[in-house]
Amino acid sequence: MAARGRCPECGSGSLVEDAHYAQQQLVCSACGCVLSEGLLTTTYSDEEHLREVAYSQSTGQKEQLSRCLQRGSRRVQDLCKVLQLPAAFEETAVSYLRRALQHPAFRLLSREKKELLGGCCVLVTCRQRSWPLTMGTVCSLLYARHDLFAGVYLSLQKELGLSVPALSLADLVTTHLNSFRLLQPAADVPAAFLEDKEQLLARTVAIVELASQAWLVTGRHPVPIVTAAAFLAWQSLRPGPRLCCPLARFCRLAGVDLPPPAHLRLKELLEILQGMASQLSWLRGFPLDRKVVVKHLGELLQHRLFLLKNAFSQHGEEQQDTAPGQGCPSQGSGPPSSPAGAQQQRRPWAGPARPGGPRRPLLPPCLLQPRKRPRSAPSAAAATGDEPISDSELEQYLRSPEEIRALSRARACL
Amino acid sequence: MEGASPLERYLESCSGQDDFSTSPHLFTPMSPYDLELPTQTASQLSQSKELLTDFSSVDLSFLPDVTQDNKEQNLSEDGHETQKELIRSLPSDEDSGVLMDESSLSHPGAAQPSPEASDICPPLTPMTPLTPATSASESSGIVPQLQNIVSTVNLACKLDLKNIALHARNAEYNPKRFAAVIMRIREPRTTALIFSSGKMVCTGAKSEEQSRLAARKYARVVQKLGFPAKFLDFKIQNMVGSCDVRFPIRLEGLVLTHQQFSSYEPELFPGLVYRMVKPRIVLLIFVSGKVVLTGAKNRSEIYEAFENIYPILRGFKKPS
Repeated sequence: MAARGRCPECGSGSLVEDAHYAQQQLVCSACGCVLSEGLLTTTYSDEEHLREVAYSQSTGQKEQLSRCLQRGSRRVQDLCKVLQLPAAFEETAVSYLRRALQHPAFRLLSREKKELLGGCCVLVTCRQRSWPLTMGTVCSLLYARHDLFAGVYLSLQKELGLSVPALSLADLVTTHLNSFRLLQPAADVPAAFLEDKEQLLARTVAIVELASQAWLVTGRHPVPIVTAAAFLAWQSLRPGPRLCCPLARFCRLAGVDLPPPAHLRLKELLEILQGMASQLSWLRGFPLDRKVVVKHLGELLQHRLFLLKNAFSQHGEEQQDTAPGQGCPSQGSGPPSSPAGAQQQRRPWAGPARPGGPRRPLLPPCLLQPRKRPRSAPSAAAATGDEPISDSELEQYLRSPEEIRALSRARACL
Repeated sequence: MEGASPLERYLESCSGQDDFSTSPHLFTPMSPYDLELPTQTASQLSQSKELLTDFSSVDLSFLPDVTQDNKEQNLSEDGHETQKELIRSLPSDEDSGVLMDESSLSHPGAAQPSPEASDICPPLTPMTPLTPATSASESSGIVPQLQNIVSTVNLACKLDLKNIALHARNAEYNPKRFAAVIMRIREPRTTALIFSSGKMVCTGAKSEEQSRLAARKYARVVQKLGFPAKFLDFKIQNMVGSCDVRFPIRLEGLVLTHQQFSSYEPELFPGLVYRMVKPRIVLLIFVSGKVVLTGAKNRSEIYEAFENIYPILRGFKKPS
C-alpha cells in the first residue's frame, strides 16, 4: 500500500511498506531506496489508535497458572505438610485440583467453596492410597463448615468420576490412637493411666471388629465408635484404677474431642459384651454389669466369634428358650421357631440378654428399636386422573368477599 | 402314524418340533407366510417388530381353542414352538398391546387370521404371556410403593401471584423468599408451586393418576380465581418409591464389590447411594434393609431397578 512521504533519492511518491525477513521497511518502489526500517508505527497518532489485545485472547492465559490454581496448590502443599503425607500424595492432589479447576462446574464456584476444593482433593488422594483421613480432620484444618465441605466433596467425586474407596476402620484406629496423649508420659497424666501403644491398639482393633460384626458400625460415623472402643480397651487393660474414670475425663486426658455419639456407642458395645458374657460359663455367678464385662474383656474378645454366635440368634431364627447353666449351645432343646418369628423381630428389644431368656437377634440397632411405626400402604384412591371435580370441593379453597375485605383492612393496619 | 390317537399325534408333532430346538435358524426360510402384515398401524408394526427381536415365546396354552387349532397347524410347519424361552421382564403394557393385536386377529377363528397372527412376528411368535415372566429363580415378591410424584403442567396464561394469594385460602406467597405461590389441597394431599409465567409444579401425590387429578384441581382453582388457565403438557418429572427387603445389609461389602456404582460415606450420610446405569435410577440403600428409589420417569423403571438390585442385596444377606 502506498505510504506517505517522498523518496529522498528519486523524489517519487510511490513508497511501499515491505518486509525484509519480517523486518518492516519503507522502500521506494521506483529506485529501491530504503527509507526506514524496523518501525512499528509511522507516527505518534498511529500508536494511539492501536487496539490492545485482551488477556483472554493472548496466549498468556494458557501459559500462566491462574491465581486460584496457584493459591489452591499452595494450600494443598501446606495441608500435606501438616498431615505429614508422603510426597507422591501432593502431586496427585495437585493434579486433581488442576483437573477440577478446568471443569466448568468448579471454575465458577464461590471463593469459599474453592478453598475447600484443595482439601477435597487431598481427601480423595488419601482415600485412594488407603491413608486413613477423616473429613472431620480436614474440615478442622481448613476451618470449613461441614455441610459445605460435604457438598464440594460429593460434586468433585461426581464431576471427575473418581471412584473413592471407603474408609478402612483398622487404619483409622491406628491414626486416631496416634494422637492420644495417654501413650506418652506427661505432667497431668497419673502413672496408672499411662498405657502401651501396641497393646491398646491391638485391643481397640479387636473391639472395633466385634462392633462391625454386631452391626454397630454400618451406617454410623466411624470416629465415635473408635473413641468408645479405645476407652473400653484402655479401661480393660488395667481395670483397677481406671474403672472409675468416665469417658469425658478419658478424652480430656487423651487430648481428643469427645464426639457426642460416643456415649451411645459405648452403651451399645457394653450391651453386646454383656450378652456375650452371659454365655461364658465361668461368669455365671457374677452379676452382669459394666465392671465384670470390662474386667473380663480380654477373654470375651478371645472367644468373640463363638460367644457372638451363642449369645445372639442369627437373622431368621429365634430361640424360644435356651437351657440355662450350660456354656455350650443347646439349641436342640427348644424347637426353632417358624419363619413367622421373623415378624417378631420387629418388636423392640430392651435391656441386656439374660442367660435364660430368649436370645436377642443380631441386628442393627435401628431394626431392634424401630422409632417409626410401620405405615400401612395407602389405599388406591383415584383410578384414573380424569375424574370430575366438583365445584363445592373447590369452593373451600377460595376466600369469601368478607374475608378478603377483612384481610385487606388488617394488612392496611400493619 | 396310522392308528395313533389325536393326542398321540399332537404329542408327536410337539416332540418333532423339539428336535429343531438346536437349530432355530432353519425355520425362517421355510416360513410359508408372507411378511405383509394385514391392517396394522405403523406404530403397532414398529412396536411388534422391535418386540420380536427381544423374545420368542410360544406359550399358548391359555388361548381359546380357536387359536389352539391354528397353532397346531403352524407348529407342524415351522416348529417355532420349540423356542420356549420365557420373556424376561417385559413391561405389562407392551405385552397387552401385542396380545390385543393378535387376539383380535385370531378370534374369527378361520384359518385366514392364523397366518396373520403369526405374520406379526416373522420367526412366528404368535403370542406373549400377559404377565412379564421373570427368571425362574428369584422374583422378589416385594413391590416398591410409590411415595412421591413430581409433575409439571403449563397453565398457559400469565398469573398475578398477589391476587391469587389474596383470593385463595390455601395459598402462601412470600416474594422475598421464593418467587412462586405455594398452594395446597387436601384431597389428594399435594402441594403446588405456581409461577407467574403460568407454569406449575405439583408434588406429593402417591400415584400418577392422583398427580394428574391434583394438577387439574389446582388448574380449576386458578380458573375460578379468574384466570384463563389451560392444562397443557402435563408431564411426570420424577417418581420416588421405597420398599423393605426385610434383612440387614452389609453396606461396606456392597461398596467393595460395586465400587463403580456405589458411594458410601458414613461420615456424611448413613445410607449407600447406588447409581444404577440401566435404568437410570438412584437407589439409597440403608443398613436396615430399606431401599429408596428415585429418579424415575415411569413406574416400570422403579420396578425394574428394584428387580435388578434385589439379587445383589440377597448376596449380602448373612446366612442364618
